[in-house]
Amino acid sequence: MPGEIPPKQRFFCYNLSMFLQQLINGLTLGSVYALIALGYSMVYGILELINFAHGEIYMLGAYFGIIFFGLFTAVGLTAFSLPLALALTFVLSVIFCASYGFTIEKIAYKPLRNAPRLSPLISAIGVSIFLQNFVMLTQGATDKVFPPIFGTAGFRFLSVQMTYLQLSIIVVSVILMFCLRFFVRKTRMGKAMRAVAQDKVMASLVGVNIDTVISVTFLIGSGLAAIAGLMVAMYYGLVNYFIGYVAGIKAFTAAVLGGIGSIRGAMLGGILLGLVESLGGSYISSEYKDAYAFILLIIVLLVKPGGLFGKAELEKV
Amino acid sequence: MLELRDLHTFYGPIEALRGIDLEISQGEIVSLIGNNGAGKSTTLMTISGILKPQSGDILFEGESIRESAPHKIVRMGISQVPEGRRIFPKLTVRENLEMGSFSGRGDAASAFEMVFGLFPVLQERQNQFGGTLSGGEQQMLAIARALMCHPKLLLLDEPSLGLAPIIVSKIFKTIREINREGVTVLLVEQNARAALKLSRRGYVLENGQILLRGNGAELLNNNDVKKAYLGEQI
Ligand SMILES: Nc1ncnc2c1ncn2[C@@H]1O[C@H](COP(=O)(O)OP(=O)(O)OP(=O)(O)O)[C@@H](O)[C@H]1O
Ligand SMILES: [Mg+2]
Repeated sequence: MPGEIPPKQRFFCYNLSMFLQQLINGLTLGSVYALIALGYSMVYGILELINFAHGEIYMLGAYFGIIFFGLFTAVGLTAFSLPLALALTFVLSVIFCASYGFTIEKIAYKPLRNAPRLSPLISAIGVSIFLQNFVMLTQGATDKVFPPIFGTAGFRFLSVQMTYLQLSIIVVSVILMFCLRFFVRKTRMGKAMRAVAQDKVMASLVGVNIDTVISVTFLIGSGLAAIAGLMVAMYYGLVNYFIGYVAGIKAFTAAVLGGIGSIRGAMLGGILLGLVESLGGSYISSEYKDAYAFILLIIVLLVKPGGLFGKAELEKV
Repeated sequence: MLELRDLHTFYGPIEALRGIDLEISQGEIVSLIGNNGAGKSTTLMTISGILKPQSGDILFEGESIRESAPHKIVRMGISQVPEGRRIFPKLTVRENLEMGSFSGRGDAASAFEMVFGLFPVLQERQNQFGGTLSGGEQQMLAIARALMCHPKLLLLDEPSLGLAPIIVSKIFKTIREINREGVTVLLVEQNARAALKLSRRGYVLENGQILLRGNGAELLNNNDVKKAYLGEQI
């Protein structure tokens, strides 16, 4: 995990460069949380379903990344052109994860669309357990390695070290979030998504095919999770079949923090969570790193029950 | 143009429509009146495909649409202004209208021109959130949104509900104008007098069944209608 500091430095310290260092680590982690949180939030906005299997899509993204990159290395493509091998790895992982997300919705959620709310939730947990075990059985229970192609190459400024990989993760995430924002605000399908989130019956009455919108939501959410998983695999270098669980819970927390259903909320909630974890981990204690997220969540929900950008009462009227 | 044949629609065990027969010809305004809970909204939602009838048939231009999905029914040219307007509160007025043309029927630019001509206030408010409009403006927006797909048949569910008399008469005037442009209208109303005056024919719905049918003037003079829906003493 980033934010892990050598024990020597683990003391209460106001050192600016350390603060900046943690800021960078937190932003890196936070952008990954944000990418995953978007999937939770979009699906919740449309279906009012907490898609517990979403963390598993992120995990699959990491595995597909390792598999495809390994394949390209084996056939010599990586040696021929690293950028091409990486790009193809990303594209294929996104396509595979998006198809998983699409299929999961069709098989596990769609038949339960008119069932009591608990049913799709249980189905989601089932899918999550299934995917974890599926990956464990087919890929093994031990850690998988993503080759350290970037190493720790980076640059320094203000005596702060930032790796190219960290920079890439932040930049890619920000670009993706802007693309998503543009898609949802300006395109025909994006507007239909917002309309469906606000009133499904009315959206049907103007001619929106609700099933299409739901599928698009799952495709996009899963694609973003795939990218997050792949970037994390590159960042930590190690992957196992249960990484989706914690990441999923964190990202879900981020989505609730920002106000579930809100895209802006998911982005900012994710980044805030990454920062709190990273800064809390270094300034307070890294032992409780996983607890800060939830402490923050409780505080925010006490003050603003709908989350930072949650639906105001206005929308319910 | 539209024909309902012995239509039965259920909410779970509750039979809300108990055999509705109704016909609308091209170019007509037909009103459907009835008390609260009579099944008027249920009828419109069944036509639009949101509710599926248990039995009976719905024919639109000779073709059965009872198995069609709502978005396909819109594409065929049936557009609804639902009860309670159902404006998308967090879309701007303009985006609400764009959603109206989502089905891709006809061209959006000319539709915008038409609805801004009918309701100039919407043009002034186009960048405001739908949820921030007044009730009357929301009703105009709901009608405008339904017109954005150049419908052949417009279903209106209580467009006068909760509006000041001056707005109501404007809305009714607009409905007549829309009809003159060639749009067939099925108008559901509590405001029976205004509705029957506007329409050529009307149906009276009670407990999920058609109680009376006739031309507008006939129904206006019918003693049962006078007593039950026009609040007149006889
Ligand atoms: N979602 C629902 N679930 C169960 N019953 C319903 C539902 N919607 C309507 N009903 C019942 O179906 C019947 C017809 O309702 P409908 O809304 O069509 O009446 P309406 O004529 O439109 O009344 P109003 O003038 O009050 O709008 C009523 O008895 C109502 O209680
Ligand atoms: Mg009604």
